[in-house]
Amino acid sequence: MSKNMYIARSSDETILERGESGGAVTSVLKCALENKIVDGVVTVRSKNGDRFAGLPVLVTNPEDLVDTAGALHSSLPNIPRYVKEYLEGAAHMKLAIVGKPCDIRAIIEMQKRHQIDLENVFLVGLNCTGTISPATARKMYTQEFKVDPSDVLKEDIDDGEFTITLKDGTSKSMDLAKLEKKGLGRRENCRRCEYNIPTFADLAFGKWGTEDETGTFVEVYSEKGQLLFKTAVEKGCIETSAPSPEGIKTREEKDKVAIESAMEWREKDFAPLLKMDLPERYKYWTDEFRKCIKCFGCRDACPICYCEECLLEANREFLVGGEIPPNGIFPLTRLAHVADSCIGCGQCQDACPMELPLSKLFTLMNSQLNDIFDYEPGVDVEERPPTTVARDEELQIDDTFLNITTIMKEERVAEKKTKNEEVADTG
Amino acid sequence: MVEYKETICPYCSCGCGIYLVIEDGKIIGEEPQNNHPINEGGNCPKGRNAYQFLYADDRLKYPMIRKNGKLVKATWDEAFDLITSKLKQAGPNEFGLLASGKNTNEDAYVQQKFTRLVMGTNNVEYCGRLCHSSTAAGLGPTVGSGVMPISQMDIENVDCIFMVGINLKETFPLMAMRAMRAKKKGAKIIVMDPRKTVTARELADIHLQLEAGTDVLVLNSLMKITLEEELEDKEFVKERTTGIEALREHLASLDLQEMADISGVPVGKLDKAARMLAKAKSCTILYNQGLNQHTTGADGIKALASLALLHGQYGRPGTGLCPTRGQINGEGTGDMGCLNVFYPGFQKVGTPAEPHKKFAEHWGVESLPDQPGLPYTKMIQQTKYMWIIGTNPMMAAPDVERVRESLESKDLLIVQDIYPTETAELADVVLPAATWVEREGIHAYVDRRVQKINKLIDPPGEAKPDWWIVCQVAERMGFKEHFDFSSSREIFEEIRRVVPPYKGLTYERLENTLGGIQWPVPSEDHPGTPTFFTQKFNTPDGLGHLQVVDFKPPAELTDEEYPFILTTGRSIFHYHTGTMSRRTPTLHAEVPKNYCQVNPKDAASKNIRNGTKVSLSTKRGTIEAKAQITDDVPEGLIFLPFHFHESCANKITNPVLDPACGMPEYKVCAVNIEVVK
Repeated sequence: MSKNMYIARSSDETILERGESGGAVTSVLKCALENKIVDGVVTVRSKNGDRFAGLPVLVTNPEDLVDTAGALHSSLPNIPRYVKEYLEGAAHMKLAIVGKPCDIRAIIEMQKRHQIDLENVFLVGLNCTGTISPATARKMYTQEFKVDPSDVLKEDIDDGEFTITLKDGTSKSMDLAKLEKKGLGRRENCRRCEYNIPTFADLAFGKWGTEDETGTFVEVYSEKGQLLFKTAVEKGCIETSAPSPEGIKTREEKDKVAIESAMEWREKDFAPLLKMDLPERYKYWTDEFRKCIKCFGCRDACPICYCEECLLEANREFLVGGEIPPNGIFPLTRLAHVADSCIGCGQCQDACPMELPLSKLFTLMNSQLNDIFDYEPGVDVEERPPTTVARDEELQIDDTFLNITTIMKEERVAEKKTKNEEVADTG
Repeated sequence: MVEYKETICPYCSCGCGIYLVIEDGKIIGEEPQNNHPINEGGNCPKGRNAYQFLYADDRLKYPMIRKNGKLVKATWDEAFDLITSKLKQAGPNEFGLLASGKNTNEDAYVQQKFTRLVMGTNNVEYCGRLCHSSTAAGLGPTVGSGVMPISQMDIENVDCIFMVGINLKETFPLMAMRAMRAKKKGAKIIVMDPRKTVTARELADIHLQLEAGTDVLVLNSLMKITLEEELEDKEFVKERTTGIEALREHLASLDLQEMADISGVPVGKLDKAARMLAKAKSCTILYNQGLNQHTTGADGIKALASLALLHGQYGRPGTGLCPTRGQINGEGTGDMGCLNVFYPGFQKVGTPAEPHKKFAEHWGVESLPDQPGLPYTKMIQQTKYMWIIGTNPMMAAPDVERVRESLESKDLLIVQDIYPTETAELADVVLPAATWVEREGIHAYVDRRVQKINKLIDPPGEAKPDWWIVCQVAERMGFKEHFDFSSSREIFEEIRRVVPPYKGLTYERLENTLGGIQWPVPSEDHPGTPTFFTQKFNTPDGLGHLQVVDFKPPAELTDEEYPFILTTGRSIFHYHTGTMSRRTPTLHAEVPKNYCQVNPKDAASKNIRNGTKVSLSTKRGTIEAKAQITDDVPEGLIFLPFHFHESCANKITNPVLDPACGMPEYKVCAVNIEVVK
């Protein structure tokens, strides 16, 4: 058992009631504010309890934090962008930023690009197995659950079930896989996401491993995390106990199942594309690109994109201005700039009015580039993006998409081969 | 403290939600609103750059009065005194007011009330005359109502879409999203447009690329094929329509091949399209200026509606003719009665309903005007005193040099706007208006969807809401008791009392209903009305009236001197007369100058290369633009956007009107093109 794992519960009755499984997150943050470890907490708040309208918010008054307690699975706040654009990238205040794994990974990538000052930031990660877009959630509640979307007080995803709690206190569950087969359920990028526990944050909170007890499962990953957590314990804001070995095992198993599901979704989404020959694949993508109306929504939403003056803006005269669809160079330039570091948050696709499958493109490219460069974006701030540190042999990429293994490190080739064989065996 | 505040995009009338990011009373950014049911987080280029237009340097911040030929700063009192003293001299029908498609319903309501009650005339109009007056004239007799009969959200569930004279992807991009969803699910799309627009290229299964101005021929052909091949919905025609015999007889007299020869659309293609329409379970029919802006615009709409009736495409979600109003309150300003023949709620002057009497009672006056007022362009020509609010006829009306002459000769020209527009430059008095999120109020968006916007920032300088300015003048004219409003809410309460379709709306309901409520809303517990005509049409007998329409060619045809056809339209990056979008740096950078599209063959014959500066001349005048060579336009046709004051399309368009509705023929006139040496 890791000495950095705990089960934590809030000591505050109000928070216990409002928060999810023990309210530890809210209490740790409140304690950090009260004790001036941070100047502010960046988290998500919904307007009048509207579950589809969660927005990033900066909380500086500890008493206001209770309003942000509880998870919102069907809101899509762009937290990294909020910190970068509107809080000066934490340059002038110490912030605790609460986020899902993709938010945390985005912030780590932004730090590498000096868009967020990680010195000033405590990363408070939340376990996540996916979010649902508001439109899909409403449709799913009306069509499948047969309930009024405004009657839903809480959603949860666990053990392959999607469960909603209603105003009248009752709850309803449906099989997530079945919902997703109908095009409902989680956002595409979430289905493909392999990161459920944000091990790269300073602290991770979640309910996996607390099946048999009340509380939040907390894992501390860094000294910063230790500082937040220890202070909360010492000041009596939370009570802790040690997780049971069974709890820890359950947590590991659930993580494994979720990762396997993500791998299956990747296979399912990518295989048809990879099966196409190159002309076919080219046509598929150019047909998609032709839908573009050059709104720049994808670029603006992307936490990785950060040029002060974007090459694609009309005044740079790189692309012909006033043309829609813009030349295919538009999405391809974005891809070239971002794909190596894409963390799969899906915000680009959420912002696309023409519904281009951008997340699929970026995740697919990212997974291929990761194979080549052995680079995992957003998990280690010391690990530089490949474009800045690529080795000579990695840059010999004439035949990248034809035979990746020719340029991969030998041990990676072997590893991948074994993995493929395993998949072949089981599948 | 940075805050995200929700509002609705100020551009086209889809009604998309956005978040404005506000810090210390200033908008510093914009973010997608994923939970808004209309756009689900997506925005078009204008919607993504929605707020920058507020902050250009030349924003009008205080009243101005013309002294010694120059507009100089004045106080509100000075401006009001001048206006009042002049307007008191105005005889009956010497006054006219042009309202805006961008003002709130509350603003619009007060403006028409002022015109009718204080000035005693029905001379009140708005830009709806220039974009959808043919809709009222065409759909009124056919189905009894000229509004969008469905919810735009239902478009994604139909299996066929017929787009007529509408470049949906550029002008209503978030409705195009719905069409694209439908297409993904297998819906068939027919686009009828003389140009190979991005909509035709990307969405059309069949593109009926007709010669400009031959819409009636194509639609008559489709109806003829429908009846001859027995493709009509017989039960629907029998149960829900009248006039089939006369229509059948008329169509029988027409020659399909002859019509095809003139329209340029091959019979085989028409046959395919007619069969596609016949096969559709639910067909959305979207149309816009391409059909409307002709001397035969009302005829074209009658023919299109008759075609829809033949195919039984009315009365179910997603079906029927959908006029697409292009301004956030393009619908609402009409609802509020800013039209020369309509009191609020489309209660028509001179009908047995006698709306002038009803409103005299509502407003507590003895009498109100009972004769139609002048339509938009006539009002500009014939009145002596004009008040122009949030609209720019010096860019928007046809043949603007004639408009200039008329406006310059006014005894009083008041222009109330947010920027020194081309029209404001001619004014005797300029009044600075608050706009969009600088005040609160409601708008009715394209599908009768009423949404409320809240005041989020203060207006600049001394700028005031339109309703406040009008009420101040009314008070000084001696009508305080009728205009004693201290907030837009109070005006809204009066609207609810006198406009039946708005009765069940309240500010509270609208604030709590994301995505708005579609009128009519007869009571406070009524959920709104997405679909019209489910049981009967709004005609006196409840039936759809099939219309017999004859083809008439456009008023101005090509000749030796002017051998090309000119048609005007829009770019996705700009908005109407450019007042807003050209002051938005990102949008302006995309298309900083005017261009005209020329077919490669025409370009070759005239020695025009891509980017060459060309002159475009018609009988009205000459302008210059940059040539863009593209086969998006067929041979003989030149396309010209109308957003650019320095290359003003409406300097050269034909001011001839559709006799049925006063719609100018923007879409066809004869032009010559030459390289500028």
